[in-house]
Amino acid sequence: MSGINGIKYILGESARMLKYRKISNLISVIIMGFSLLVLVIFILITLNVSMVIEKGMEEMCVYVYLEDGTSNKINEDIRTKLLGLENIKKVLFVSKEEALKKFGERLGKSSEILEELSVNPLPNAFRIHMKPECTTSVFMEKIAQTAMGWDGVEDVRYGKKWVEKGEKLVKGFYMIGLALGLIVLLSVIFVISNTVRLSILSRRESVEIMKLVGATNGYIQAPFLIEGAIQGVVSSLVAMALLWAACSFVGRYMPGLVFFRFEGVVGFVVLCAFLGSMGSFIAVRKFLKR
Amino acid sequence: MLVYEIMQGEKRIIAGVYHLSKKLGRHFALQDISIQLANGEFAFLVGPSGAGKSTLLRMMYMDDIPDSGQVIMGSYVSTRIKRSTIPQLRRKIGIVFQNFRLLEDRTVFENVALAMKVAGTGLTEIKSEMADILTRVGLYHKRYEFPGSLSGGEQQRVAIARAVANKPAILLADEPTGNLDPIVTREILELLFRINSSGTAVLMATHDVELVRSFGQRIIYLQDGKIIKDKEMLFRGNLRDSISDSQVDHRARKFTDHRIGEDGNGTRRG
Repeated sequence: MSGINGIKYILGESARMLKYRKISNLISVIIMGFSLLVLVIFILITLNVSMVIEKGMEEMCVYVYLEDGTSNKINEDIRTKLLGLENIKKVLFVSKEEALKKFGERLGKSSEILEELSVNPLPNAFRIHMKPECTTSVFMEKIAQTAMGWDGVEDVRYGKKWVEKGEKLVKGFYMIGLALGLIVLLSVIFVISNTVRLSILSRRESVEIMKLVGATNGYIQAPFLIEGAIQGVVSSLVAMALLWAACSFVGRYMPGLVFFRFEGVVGFVVLCAFLGSMGSFIAVRKFLKR
Repeated sequence: MLVYEIMQGEKRIIAGVYHLSKKLGRHFALQDISIQLANGEFAFLVGPSGAGKSTLLRMMYMDDIPDSGQVIMGSYVSTRIKRSTIPQLRRKIGIVFQNFRLLEDRTVFENVALAMKVAGTGLTEIKSEMADILTRVGLYHKRYEFPGSLSGGEQQRVAIARAVANKPAILLADEPTGNLDPIVTREILELLFRINSSGTAVLMATHDVELVRSFGQRIIYLQDGKIIKDKEMLFRGNLRDSISDSQVDHRARKFTDHRIGEDGNGTRRG
């Protein structure tokens, strides 16, 4: 068999599978959809938490406090030296007035007490943002040590305890995330591959009959591949739709909640289509081989 | 090539098994079996359950490979055939089973059409030939029904229609009447004879000796994996002397022995 008759045959067989096996396909899609939902919920939570952590880590800065009344020249010298250091993303000058204003904002209603002050007690400072991958206590400590000895520098602080805590948190989070992710992934693969296998096992007799009337393996497998791909697409769309609905509901109470980007959703659906047809392919091949 | 034609006045060997042995577990399911079938021939393969009939037929449609010996079906040789070529063989022979093996989710028409589609026949051609095929088995009026709503005899006729849809040179039937009552059994046999008379060789396995004795066709007796009697062509084994109704033609035996030869390959014509 070849050419147009072959393609017609494969499309016809695939269409008939979808038409006559509605309930079985529906059950498969529901099972796969919910398994995938568990997976995407997990991925989305991980994504959101890691974004929050990243943001938090970005805010961890090294403050270089200057002695009171340093000249502009000394300030500029310090800035140049700071910029010459490694692992630094940017260096910002925070004047004492600015610092006071920010402090006031933080205090909110109680900022009135600041008006009682006759002099601004806050120093001028440089705020140093580290490169994201270098926002660790080791690198920050190094900078602190270096800058401490410079002229005009009164103190260097970076919230040592917070940074160290944050690091532990991130490490723990990624370890747990990885372990949980593996468990979730394995269970999803297990559930889905069993669903596929059961669905195909119920058609073992038809596969054997097809073989007996002289169908080649390719022609027996092709409709299963198409069916698997369609199941993959539909169940991943179901999972994504449910997740999106849940997300827009939860999002009302958690404004910062992030959903996958469009490319991510498309990629996931395509991946599921591929995995769906691969799953079917492997399951059918098992009893085509003897 | 395995072709659908009768060579007038000339017998061609279209199927043969030569010194076939197969072990299933510890015991021999088949032991040194040699049979040849000529075009247009009708032969019964008779023996009790477990004699090796189904195993032998499976070797012939190459669902299983022999431990030793050779199966030659037309131009397909078991020792040389590639797995990917087996479907081609299956399209050129017909196979019928005791349990019909129809696809339950397809109509009569679709079940028969499947065999033709698989062989690459276009839908137009299938439609134009279907009337003839289904009329021959007397089921044209039930072409849109599903196997589940048919009687056993009708289901078997659908299976036979499917088996002959591609006009095979040979039809292998494995206990086709095993699940049917005596009256329906007769009908199925008559149908097989009709198919045979239109040029398809038939090899039908059955355990029912009484049934087949009356027809005067070639009967191959199989027991414990050995041929104990082949009414038309040859005797084998120790039972040779004890067979009373010997109609053996010594020239035929000589001819067959010569054809099969000791090399296990057999000489083959056609």
